[in-house]
Amino acid sequence: MSGAIPGSWAIISLGNRFRGDDSVGPYLLHRLRVRLGDAVDCLENGGDMTRLLEDWKGRGVCLVDAVVAQGRDLGEIIHLDGLTETLPAGVCTTSSHGFTLAEALELAHLLDSLPDKLEIYAICGSNFATGAPLSPAVLAAAKKVEQEILQYLAQQAGGPPCTNNR
Amino acid sequence: MAKSKTIKVDYLARVEGEGALYIRYDDGGVRDVKLKIFEPPRFFEGFMRGRDYLEAPDITARICGICPVAYQMSALHAMEHALGLTPTAELRDLRRLIYCGEWIESHALHIFMLHAPDFLGYDNAVAMAKDHPAIVQDGLEIKKAGNAIVSLIGGREVHPINVRVGGFYRVPTVEELGPLREQLLKARDMAVQTAHWAASLTFPRFERPATDPYEFVALSHPREYPMNEGRIVSTRGLNIPVEEYETHFREEHIDYSNALHSVLVERGAYLVGPMARYNLNYEHLSPLVQQTAEVIGFPPFCANPFQSIVVRSLEVLYAFDEALRIIDSYRRPEQPYLATDPRESSGCAATEAPRGLLYHRYDINDRGKITDARIVAPTSQNQKSIEDDLRHLLPKFLDLPENRLQARCEQAIRNYDPCISCSTHFLQLHLEHDEGRGGAGI
Repeated sequence: MSGAIPGSWAIISLGNRFRGDDSVGPYLLHRLRVRLGDAVDCLENGGDMTRLLEDWKGRGVCLVDAVVAQGRDLGEIIHLDGLTETLPAGVCTTSSHGFTLAEALELAHLLDSLPDKLEIYAICGSNFATGAPLSPAVLAAAKKVEQEILQYLAQQAGGPPCTNNR
Repeated sequence: MAKSKTIKVDYLARVEGEGALYIRYDDGGVRDVKLKIFEPPRFFEGFMRGRDYLEAPDITARICGICPVAYQMSALHAMEHALGLTPTAELRDLRRLIYCGEWIESHALHIFMLHAPDFLGYDNAVAMAKDHPAIVQDGLEIKKAGNAIVSLIGGREVHPINVRVGGFYRVPTVEELGPLREQLLKARDMAVQTAHWAASLTFPRFERPATDPYEFVALSHPREYPMNEGRIVSTRGLNIPVEEYETHFREEHIDYSNALHSVLVERGAYLVGPMARYNLNYEHLSPLVQQTAEVIGFPPFCANPFQSIVVRSLEVLYAFDEALRIIDSYRRPEQPYLATDPRESSGCAATEAPRGLLYHRYDINDRGKITDARIVAPTSQNQKSIEDDLRHLLPKFLDLPENRLQARCEQAIRNYDPCISCSTHFLQLHLEHDEGRGGAGI
C-alpha cells in the first residue's frame, strides 16, 4: 500500500470465532492484521456493542460481520455506508447483550460518538453452529472482502488500489 | 371457570446462549414457570478434552464476551490447584486487579444499559439516552475505566491474552500504572454518584416469604471481599472448601431446557451473584463503600432482588477502591509467572464472576492433556431461583395491566443479569389470551 493511511482508521470485527460462519469477521480481521500491521487498528468486538462507541468515535472504520442468509445467497456480500444507508433487516442485529448495530449507531448519534466514516461489510452465512468451520462460499467471500478493504484503505491513503491478491 | 393466562418469552441470542420463558398463571396463582436456557459451556467442556492444560484459560475465556476474565481466573486457579502451585502475593494482586476491571465493565453495562431502563420506564437504553444522555454517558465512562484495567493487565479489552497458568505473560511496570490510576480516581468519584443515583430509584416491593427464603451462596475469605479465593458459604450454614463443591451441589437435567439446573443437594434452589457476595461479605467492603452504603441508607443485608442494582453499584465502587489500593501498593513481580510442569492430577477452583460463583474442575494426564472438564456458570446456578422469584412475584402484581406485568417479569429476570440474556431487553414477548378453554387455555 503506498502512502500512510490518513487519520485514525480501524477495522472492527463482530461475531464469534467459534460459531461457524459467524467467525468470518474475526477471520477477516486476522488476515487484515497480518497484511496491514500497525497501519490500522484491528479490533475484535466480542459482542458488546457499547464498545463500538469508544472504538469508532471520530475515526474511519471498516466493520466486518456475518449475517444470516435469509433470502440471500450464501456468501453474498452486503457492503454499505453505515452512516448514510439504512441497515437491511437482519444485518448486525444481534449481540451478546441484545444491542443491535443500528441501536449502537443511534446511541452514538445521541452521545456524539459517531465514527467519521463507517464502511460495513456483511457476509451471508448459513451455519452458525458451535465448532463448525467456515462454509466454502463464506470463505471465498471473505477473501473478496479482504481485497475490497485493502483497496479502499489504499485509496484513503491516496495510493493506487492494492493489486496483491495473494 | 378460571381465567388462565400465559406469558411466553422467546429469545435467540447469538453468542452466549439461548433462552426462553414460559409462565402460565391464573387468579389463583402461578401454575407453571419454565426458564429455558441453551448454554454453550456444555460444548466447551467437550472442546477442552485433549487440549493442553495451558490452553484452558484462553479457550474458556471465549465462553463469554463480557466476563472472559472470570473464566480465565477459574481455569487457571483450577490448574494451579491440580499442580500444587501457589502464586506470589504480587501476582495474586494483579489477578485481583484485572478482576476489578471486569466487575466494573460487566456491572456498568448491566446497571446503565440493561437494568436502568426498567426503573426509568424505557424500553431500552437508546430510548433512555434520548431523555437521560448524562446517565448513559456516565455509565459508558465508568465502563471505559474498567476496560482500561483489563486492557492494561490483560493485553487487550476483549478476551485478554496476557493471563496464563502460573501468572502472566508480561506484568506492567509501576510507571505504566500511573495514567490508569488517574483515570480510576476520576471514575471512582462517578461510582460514588452512581450509588447515590441507584439508591434513589423506585423499587418494586418484593421479598421472599419466610417459608421460602433465599439461600445466598458466595465465596468468603477471612481478610478480603471475595474474588479468586475463599470457602463456599451460605446464609443457611453451608461452609465448605471448594474441593467439596461437587458433593454439595448437583446439576439436574430438566426436560424443557438444554441447560442443567444446579441445586444444593441438601436444600434445592440457591442464589449466587452480587447480592449473595454483599450479604455474606459486607464486613470486607472498603470503608468508602460501607460509608457510602450508610449515607444512601442501604442496609448490610439486601433481600429485595430489585435492589440488586444498588448492590452492583456498590460493588463497582468497591472495585475502583480495590483497584486503586492494589495500584498504590504495587511492586512489580520479579518473574511474570511461575514455571509449571504437568503431572497426572485433578484440580478445581471457584471464583466470583460478576454474576456469581463460577466453578471449574479439570483432570489432566501426565502429558498435560485435559481428560475431563467441568464448568458450572453462575446463570446455571441461578435458574431455579429465577423461576422461584417469578412464582412468588406474579401473585403480588396481578393487578397490573398485562403489558406491565410482562415488563415486571422481565425486570425480575434482569435482576440476575443472566448471561443468556444478558439481554432480556432483546427478548421478544408474546402474551397469549384464551379465556374459553376450561381455565387453562391460552
